[in-house]
Amino acid sequence: MKPTFLFTRGIGDIVLGGVSIAFAILLFIGAADLPPPRFEPLGSAAAPRILAGILVLLGSLVIWRAMAKRRLPHPSGDDMTAPPAHPLRGLWTLLALVAYVAALDVLRAPFAVATALFLAAIALILTGGNRRAGVVYCGVGLVLGQTLATIFARFLYITIS
Amino acid sequence: MIDALLALFVWHNLTYLVIGTTLGIVIGAIPGLTATMLIALTLPLTYHMDPVSAVTLLIGEYVGGISGGLITAILLRMPGTPSSIVTTFDGYPLAQAGRAERAIGLGIMASVVGGIISWAFLAGMSPSLAQFALKFGPWEYFTLVLMALVMLAVLSQGSMVKGLLGAALGMAFALPGIDSSIGQARLTFGSDVLLSGFGLLPVLIGAFAISQILRDTMQPEITKTPPVPNRRLPVQWRDLITHGPNMIRSSLIGTWIGLLPGIGGNIAALMSYTTARQASSEPEKFGTGHEPGIVAGETANNAAIGGALIPLITMGIPGSVTEAILIGALTIHNLQPGPLLFQNAPEIAYGIIAAYLVANVVMLIVMWGAVRWIAQVVRLPRAGLLGVILVFCVIGSYAVNSSFADVWVMLAFGVIGLGLEAARVPLAPFVIGFVLSPIAEEQLRASLMLSDGDPTEILTRPYALIFLGLSILTLIWPAVAQRRQNRKSETPS
Repeated sequence: MKPTFLFTRGIGDIVLGGVSIAFAILLFIGAADLPPPRFEPLGSAAAPRILAGILVLLGSLVIWRAMAKRRLPHPSGDDMTAPPAHPLRGLWTLLALVAYVAALDVLRAPFAVATALFLAAIALILTGGNRRAGVVYCGVGLVLGQTLATIFARFLYITIS
Repeated sequence: MIDALLALFVWHNLTYLVIGTTLGIVIGAIPGLTATMLIALTLPLTYHMDPVSAVTLLIGEYVGGISGGLITAILLRMPGTPSSIVTTFDGYPLAQAGRAERAIGLGIMASVVGGIISWAFLAGMSPSLAQFALKFGPWEYFTLVLMALVMLAVLSQGSMVKGLLGAALGMAFALPGIDSSIGQARLTFGSDVLLSGFGLLPVLIGAFAISQILRDTMQPEITKTPPVPNRRLPVQWRDLITHGPNMIRSSLIGTWIGLLPGIGGNIAALMSYTTARQASSEPEKFGTGHEPGIVAGETANNAAIGGALIPLITMGIPGSVTEAILIGALTIHNLQPGPLLFQNAPEIAYGIIAAYLVANVVMLIVMWGAVRWIAQVVRLPRAGLLGVILVFCVIGSYAVNSSFADVWVMLAFGVIGLGLEAARVPLAPFVIGFVLSPIAEEQLRASLMLSDGDPTEILTRPYALIFLGLSILTLIWPAVAQRRQNRKSETPS
């Protein structure tokens, strides 16, 4: 496995710091609309403002440290991480999951059918396109989906999709 | 306590305990799947149970999940849970020397003894500690929560700044929704979905289960198959005496570490292992298949559970994510963990304590009897296993409010969890910050109302000052220690 070096790590931390500061700005904007305290000293806007301040401080610290590390000539062992072996599998799994939830929520697909297709997709993704696994897990998904839908409807009074 | 124990021996509670413990052991034995994930996924199913049964099931899963990790740690050198990392040091070499059954037997014995000793502390300390905590007012509670969060963030593995950042982000995500003090929407940005805020369960399932499964899918599949251990595990009563001092010491270390927020079973096991090695007359044997090494680690990681349950029951402070989920389990049954739990719902407070004891006994029976078969779960095809768990994540989040909005929230927090892990921000402070944020804000507002907005009132509250002092000390100590170390290394010898 190839290690990712200081450069990548530094970029990751700068992004983290930036996202934290952006999130803090969102908190400041949201808190600006809140009314001033009336019945109690602190008020509703205090917690978002305090946390936003802390996020700005910590986010800036993370960026500052990342910039300082990037100036170092050699990376230390702490700054190197092994990248995942199959990053695309994670992405495809996430996309399959989003599609599964969208099918249930937006398309109102029957739970058993959606589950069968979802398990088949996951099997294909994780086995590198093994069709036999896809067919087997499609069947497993159909049985699992129907069983879960029945249990939830009969015993817990919850209808899925 | 006797009533609570008797309540556990009602057939349905005992069934839940056996199911929970067995499921926990199986999930704990599979590298990549953790007790936390299992408990988060089971939580929605407990809505329809009575609180004692729900707590029984979850405690069984917790104990089983931590204990099951030793099987694959010994047979495959792959710790099923992070708490069993230390077990690989001596367990695997012993298994390689043809004594896998002995290693597993010792691990099970040590786990049970660690669990029972820490149970004694849990049962002995909790009622009196809860009585003491009843004297706490809002200032004490606010500073206690602050201390727990700071300790959790600072003591989490990795950078302190990132630990604190994780806690702050988690706290910030708990802010949207109706502000209960004034009954007005806050940080919803006009969205109706955000009026009820982010639900605890979708956040937990997303941040832990989804992000972990996505990480697992990116890793290569486990190709090793475990050897099948014999039915008979060669451990005798005299082993209890031989390893007695080690088990008592490791239990004390484990319980103490468990009491402190954010440290967890893996550090408890490591500390016990190091201490056992230092106390040993043959330290060079550690790491080569030495029995005291297995005993130290496995005793401590189980004892840490009992330790971690003490602040949970007595003060409502979670020491780890698993305890945060247990708090969620209590709150969905309209129970507030904390000192009043012993007065308002003694059957639950004592039920947790009793369930912890019985779960250890059930774990002993299940693991002793079924280790042969449990070891085979690693052979389950990952493609099917992860897919099925993802289906349970979706259905579990949906079942909370019969709403797909919760499922989308779960997905979003799965991605956030993955991003945070990639940026090396520990997830434990993030999730516990999310859980403790409303308590911290509520207590701070109540404190200031009681003191007419005068923050110097805290100076008149000794316990609050102690908690605040400890928080500040925890924050500055790493810098002080680093400076002292630098000075030492600069001084010529």
